[in-house]
Amino acid sequence: MSEHVEPAVPVDPKNDFLVLDDVHTHFDMGKTLLTRESKGVVKAVDGVTLTVKEGEILGLVGESGCGKSTLSRTVMQLIRPTSGRIFLEGKELSALSDTDIRKERINFQMIFQDPYASLNPRMTVLDTLSEAIRTRHPNVNGDALRARVADLLRTVGLNPNQMKRYPHEFSGGQRQRVAIARALAPEPKLIIADEPVSALDVSIQSQILNLLKRLTREMGLTMIFISHDLSVVRYIADRIAVMYLGRILELGEASDVVDHPLHVYTRALMSAIPRPDPTSEKTRNRIVLQGDPPSPMNPPEGCNFWPRSPVEHDERMKHEEPVLTEIRPNHFAANCPFCVQAAAETEPA
Amino acid sequence: MALLEVKDLRTSFYTRDGIVRAVDGVSFSLDKGETLGIVGESGSGKSVTCYSLMRLIPEPPGRIDGGTAMFDGQDLLTMSQKELRKIRGKRISMIFQDPMTSLNPFLRISTQLIEALRLHYDVDKKTAINKAIAALEEVGIPEAAKRVHNYPHEFSGGMRQRVMIAMALITEPDLLIADEPTTALDVTVQAQIMDIIKKRQEDLGTAVILITHDLGVVAGTCDKVNVMYGGRMMESGTAEQVFYEAKHPYTRSLQKTIPSLQTKGEELYTIPGLPPDVSKPIHGCAFYPRCPYPKTGKPEGDRPSLVEMADGHCYADCGFCDSSAPIETVLAKNDSPDEVEQAGAAE
Ligand SMILES: Nc1ncnc2c1ncn2[C@@H]1O[C@H](COP(=O)(O)OP(=O)(O)OP(=O)(O)O)[C@@H](O)[C@H]1O
Ligand SMILES: Nc1ncnc2c1ncn2[C@@H]1O[C@H](COP(=O)(O)OP(=O)(O)OP(=O)(O)O)[C@@H](O)[C@H]1O
Ligand code: SF4
Ligand code: SF4
Ligand SMILES: [Mg+2]
Ligand SMILES: [Mg+2]
Repeated sequence: MSEHVEPAVPVDPKNDFLVLDDVHTHFDMGKTLLTRESKGVVKAVDGVTLTVKEGEILGLVGESGCGKSTLSRTVMQLIRPTSGRIFLEGKELSALSDTDIRKERINFQMIFQDPYASLNPRMTVLDTLSEAIRTRHPNVNGDALRARVADLLRTVGLNPNQMKRYPHEFSGGQRQRVAIARALAPEPKLIIADEPVSALDVSIQSQILNLLKRLTREMGLTMIFISHDLSVVRYIADRIAVMYLGRILELGEASDVVDHPLHVYTRALMSAIPRPDPTSEKTRNRIVLQGDPPSPMNPPEGCNFWPRSPVEHDERMKHEEPVLTEIRPNHFAANCPFCVQAAAETEPA
Repeated sequence: MALLEVKDLRTSFYTRDGIVRAVDGVSFSLDKGETLGIVGESGSGKSVTCYSLMRLIPEPPGRIDGGTAMFDGQDLLTMSQKELRKIRGKRISMIFQDPMTSLNPFLRISTQLIEALRLHYDVDKKTAINKAIAALEEVGIPEAAKRVHNYPHEFSGGMRQRVMIAMALITEPDLLIADEPTTALDVTVQAQIMDIIKKRQEDLGTAVILITHDLGVVAGTCDKVNVMYGGRMMESGTAEQVFYEAKHPYTRSLQKTIPSLQTKGEELYTIPGLPPDVSKPIHGCAFYPRCPYPKTGKPEGDRPSLVEMADGHCYADCGFCDSSAPIETVLAKNDSPDEVEQAGAAE
């Protein structure tokens, strides 16, 4: 079991579009006032290695608190990684100065979960989008600028004659379209969408998913799409990374991860998705995970999944940290034989 | 006799921009131990229906314009505040959409949990605290005896939502109203919470009204379903009737939008157009502008009447449209609606 394993996910910073190489993002909680003892460190992202190909949509899923947003803010360099390196088109973002990052940021944009909180309520759509367009094209003004704003609105399916409106004058789905238009305005190469549909109801979710998928195809964008709902990610993503407590537990083509998950955690996430069918839904057995995820402040030593695993345990296993390993072609999982085996056994025939 | 029998409930908001007919003729009944799901798009009047039953509509601008809601023989909509206080929080309790709005951030969980108990029952503080600890244990809070004295911000989002459920269940109500109790949570916590509610139902026969826009959650938990649109009822029946034998074009369209049911790679189905603006009077059928059926002239005047079949399945009767074609064929034709057109963009 413990023979040496090669670094599981091969990375090539020179040629891959986006590379995360052993990225850690920790939050130091500081020291107590009196005793000056450390209050601890939150290991929100704890050793993530990933590549994203140009033009690809990578889905990132995992339970609340597993570090999805922290990982995306680290890629955006809104938070600097504690260690590890991030490359975009061969350029090491994690080594750039704050000034250089600001210049570079027009190439990567983010869409947030709550479109209301992320849009300035006192700016009209015209002002918001103009400002974003001018980060790349500072010299565009007047009619040319308005024409670009109108184009962007049409691209996201909004009526250009709504450009003088404020965010509160739109419905939730329309506001999310404005947020998407703003992310597209600087003509980025990479978009990170952090739970862009979680707050919306089903009928609007589908509209936004269609839109994001169409735009990535038409504009040749690369996207990281974050959600806690595998059924949503399954639809939009080419590949899926499953995150748990700061690490990647499984990674592969979307169809492989969804239809033939290797890790029991992925299977549990899928089995928790309620299906709109009363007969099967009221009778089927779910794989139930125990309790909440452990705190990322004091994660258990070794395997951090064992407190929740539905699998019978060999106590010795707890002390080994399973390494992400290519188990099937292009399909990686944290390689502990028990959890991987359990997924195989629960797979429907 | 049903535990709760709601007939023709109507609630409006009298605003500067006009009269918002948020709930416009809703009826349903619920027996002991039953679960009713209320589904429908954002703004269709699900929350206002439940606030009306709890008499929590802000007046003004809101007003319950009509209807009855008989709970154990008494009308909730007309009873005095004094009588209401004996029922609300004791025999009927509610879990709200956002846990932070109903947990007071400045009070310990223990204080908030025992408040209802001490208000409605003659118990001393020690007994009440013990009950609170037991309630937290029931919803799966570890080290409940210690954590009962924490403040809300010391709990994670999922734990706060479980505290809300403990609080709603502590008085052992006959009816629990849960407004999107799991929408903000991830699927694993959602599954745990639905299990807690189901267990309580089996043990004590609690009746539940569950509001959600997740049809998967409805399928797993509800005996009956009400489908709302534009403040009105479009269809109601048992979960099996509504899922397998849906009659109304809106119910069918809604089912078709669920991402998890759709084939990967194809464009996801969306209902073309926008939900109705309920601040303007709706003539005829509320779903008319978005309905996939070929229409034979705009229906003016009366809304489609609700017909009830012998087995209790009830739906708005599409009398004045040509709805003779099977809905599958009609929906198939509308399979890839144009994005831009949907959002109402001009060329
Ligand atoms: N600025 C911060 N300081 C301290 N801890 C933080 C900070 N930001 C995030 N965390 C912690 O890091 C962990 C990961 O948080 P993160 O927001 O990345 O999770 P997430 O996967 O995006 O969850 P969700 O699905 O709820 O959005 C959590 O335990 C969180 O409490
Ligand atoms: N205080 C109020 N003043 C004016 N209009 C209101 C008020 N509260 C609700 N409404 C309106 O009543 C209608 C129904 O709202 P309700 O909150 O019941 O929708 P819902 O079905 O619960 O939607 P969601 O899924 O978004 O929670 C909406 O059009 C809403 O704007
Ligand atoms: S079986 Fe292995 S990977 Fe799974 S929880 Fe146990 S130690 Fe961790
Ligand atoms: S009445 Fe006509 S427009 Fe309304 S739902 Fe029925 S078929 Fe559609
Ligand atoms: Mg997040
Ligand atoms: Mg609501």
